[in-house]
Amino acid sequence: MLVKRRKRPGESAFGILLLLLSLFFAWQSYGISGFSALSSPGAFPMAVSATMVLAAVIVVIGNLRRKNEVEGGLGASARAFLANVTPGVVLAFTGMVIAYSVLLDPLGFLPASFLFLLVSIHYLHRGSVLFSVVVAVLSLAAIYAVFRLVFKVVLPEGIVPEREIIAWIENLFAGGAH
Amino acid sequence: MEHAFEYFTIAWFDPQLLLLVALGTLAGIYIGAIPGLSVTMAVSILISFTFSWEVNQALCLMVGIYMGGVYGGSRTAILLNIPGAPSAIATALDGYPLAKKGEAGTAIGISTVMSAIGGLLGIAVLALAAPVVSEFALTFQPRDYMLLAILGILLVGSLSGESLAKGVVAGCLGMLIGVVGLDPLTAEERFTFGVVELWNGISFIAVMIGLFGVSEALMQLHHLDTPAIKQKISRIVPSWGAVRKYLPLSLQTSSIGVLIGALPGTGGDIAALMAYDHAKRVTRNPEVPFGEGAKEGLVAPETANNAAVGGAFIPMLTLGIPGDAVTAIIIGALYIHGLNPGPMLMIDKPHMFWFMVGNLTLANLFMLVFGLTGIRIFTKIVECPRGILIPLILLLSVVGAYAVNNSLTDVYWMLAFGVLGYFMKIYGYQVGPVILGVILSRLIDENWRRAIISEQESLPVFFLKMVSSPLSLVLLLSVVLIVVSQTPAGPAILRVLKRQTN
Repeated sequence: MLVKRRKRPGESAFGILLLLLSLFFAWQSYGISGFSALSSPGAFPMAVSATMVLAAVIVVIGNLRRKNEVEGGLGASARAFLANVTPGVVLAFTGMVIAYSVLLDPLGFLPASFLFLLVSIHYLHRGSVLFSVVVAVLSLAAIYAVFRLVFKVVLPEGIVPEREIIAWIENLFAGGAH
Repeated sequence: MEHAFEYFTIAWFDPQLLLLVALGTLAGIYIGAIPGLSVTMAVSILISFTFSWEVNQALCLMVGIYMGGVYGGSRTAILLNIPGAPSAIATALDGYPLAKKGEAGTAIGISTVMSAIGGLLGIAVLALAAPVVSEFALTFQPRDYMLLAILGILLVGSLSGESLAKGVVAGCLGMLIGVVGLDPLTAEERFTFGVVELWNGISFIAVMIGLFGVSEALMQLHHLDTPAIKQKISRIVPSWGAVRKYLPLSLQTSSIGVLIGALPGTGGDIAALMAYDHAKRVTRNPEVPFGEGAKEGLVAPETANNAAVGGAFIPMLTLGIPGDAVTAIIIGALYIHGLNPGPMLMIDKPHMFWFMVGNLTLANLFMLVFGLTGIRIFTKIVECPRGILIPLILLLSVVGAYAVNNSLTDVYWMLAFGVLGYFMKIYGYQVGPVILGVILSRLIDENWRRAIISEQESLPVFFLKMVSSPLSLVLLLSVVLIVVSQTPAGPAILRVLKRQTN
């Protein structure tokens, strides 16, 4: 089946990358137990990676036959790649997500999530700062209530002594009941 | 068997379970409806949160979300011309023109009632067929399981993607990811590169949330400013006459839905499109032409996609082979809770089966109730801007990936697969086959080895046995047929045949 769509910038490179990945897998699966037996632990990975190599080759050859979405040389494709495939908003947001997951452990769930929501909502939604703060606080409160308190999901604590606070609140209610 | 009814009604009389099904269905309707949130995304994130729950409670929630989500997509398809889920693509074709004429209420009413009819029929078929199929499945040889699983991955890869080759690349990638870790039979290391943390493999939940949550959220960044169009809602509950008028058609399209849903690897999206096509062919004189607001064009996809839910549970519960991406994830959840979907499930744990059927029925009824009420609030929530929605999806994905093992490693895996999935989607590779590959990898591997060992490691004997058993032969031919029909070899062979006949 031929693909009618024109090639997006970077599509050929991605196809080649997947081919390289499949070759790497093929080499690695040969290393598991070689051609020792059909029922060896390496047989299935070898068969699968060989199939993947074959399919990836077909994709790469198919890519050669298709026209580029963007005419011009390598420079033009690179510019189109940056503009259409990884535009600034995608790069910036991915950066925020990575920063968030790195900060999750040292800062703890509440401060890290608040920062992440505040910055990313402010950046994506382009509203006023006050709006972003209100939305971040409200949604974080809702998520915290549902997942930490109802679902009892364990989340990184970090710098906020959550357990003490929850225990203190529970004590307060328990105390009130007596 | 005599206890079937008792198991069927477990969730009906347990207030907590009842509430969970209701909540799941309601959440599913909204998740399915909000463009940018998908049922696969929701179910994959939810698995990690319901990890520590009792299996009954987790299943109630997930079944509700699945049922509600398949239906929910139709709402936004009608109101905004944006299908909230792939299974609602066909619904938008006639639903939106109806809404533009000011008949949004009628359209929602009909699609709700028809979804419920389709859903109930699908469940009925599931209840009747599954026991028979699982009895039949006891005669399946390991090679049959292997072929069925390969068939499932191929079907997902070929029907929904740009090309079979890309689908195969994706499926193989998934199977290789599934191999990572210690070999379950010999405890040999595979693709671990000496890293002890990889001995248990890559958490498939991290892979799943990455591919369906993160990558989808990144894709949505391209459509930050899609404007919402507001619609006036009129009367919703359809008249009995309208329902009766479309009943014959809905029975036909429901049957299509169940059948397509029951095929491993094909789900509601394909069922809906095929049913739409069927309705177009059998409706001789539609009041309004198709594509301009024909009610038949609403009835067909909506009955079919909900009927496909029941259908998809058949191979999942009887063979352990998922019908689509959502059932693949539910299988994953069953594994986590120590249940092994397959023919033995029906024998060892019949209560699980009837419990599931009962939940599906319940979810279907809740869908009818919620579908005919609360439209006004609904339009408000659906208009939630993506600039707020996307950060929230990401936050939930991170929390979800972290919650499974309380480890940041899973979060990084999830992000890596999110970025990979993003590029795959941009370049026309489906991510569905990856997840099916991960889930089915072990099943194929083990059954291949069992099959070849029982033939004394002889490939000729293996093939001879395969072509001499009717079932294996049919499965093998289906696999070959898919490959041949989707590659240049297929048309070439056809040309040669034509030339010879001329």
